[in-house]
Amino acid sequence: MSVKPFDNLKNNKYYKMWFKDAFPYITGAVLLSVFQIFTLASTGNPWGVSGPLANWGAWIYEAFGGSVDKWYYFSSEGARATLENGFLNDGGSIRNIGIIAGALLATLMASQFKIKKIKNKKQVAAAILGGLLMGYGARIGFGCNIGALYSGIASFSLSGWVYAAFLFIGAYFGSRLLVKFFM
Amino acid sequence: MKEVILDCLGEACPVPIVKSEKAIIDLEVGDLLIVQIDHSCAMKNVPEWARAQGYNVEIEEVDDGEWEVFIEKTK
Repeated sequence: MSVKPFDNLKNNKYYKMWFKDAFPYITGAVLLSVFQIFTLASTGNPWGVSGPLANWGAWIYEAFGGSVDKWYYFSSEGARATLENGFLNDGGSIRNIGIIAGALLATLMASQFKIKKIKNKKQVAAAILGGLLMGYGARIGFGCNIGALYSGIASFSLSGWVYAAFLFIGAYFGSRLLVKFFM
Repeated sequence: MKEVILDCLGEACPVPIVKSEKAIIDLEVGDLLIVQIDHSCAMKNVPEWARAQGYNVEIEEVDDGEWEVFIEKTK
């Protein structure tokens, strides 16, 4: 009988603790807090995710010959400078790449990577519609659940708590829709 | 004793847990519900829900990123 090289590793206590099993919620919360303090201290801006995604949209649009020069959203000097300096000089964009690469690494280390099947057209429609609504909402709401909620509350901003209240209302109606259309 | 397989592969949270909640209603005491999932957050919340109901729960990792949650309806 041959022993597969990873059989021992698979049952290793520390492998399970660090890579295989999900961290407890408290560990995750403490790590997120430490890293967002680090982000605020080193960049001068609180952690945000969806802001850089809007820049990605602008860069893609420009790559296809479009221009966002006249768009109100990108009219501030800061926004213009970020777009002109490009992707590699935008810390938020690099951080978002880090999130995607880190998530991929974590799932590979846990040996849980899987390309999931799309079950039906409803899933596609809901994903596109949900993505559009979330993206639009995050931009007119001064941030997503990271920039506006998490960083907002962490900065003692009342707007973060208002966001939280409406998040619950949205989640309530969202789950009603989900049960209606997906069950 | 009856075994019912609930295919939730490709379904994201919270669809697997809502489907499990619905499926278990039609089962008799002693029946087994096998929920197939490939969404790691469902691997956490489906067993948590079932244990909170007092059902017997076992999880088996059947493939990379694919699990079967065995839920025995005990009451």
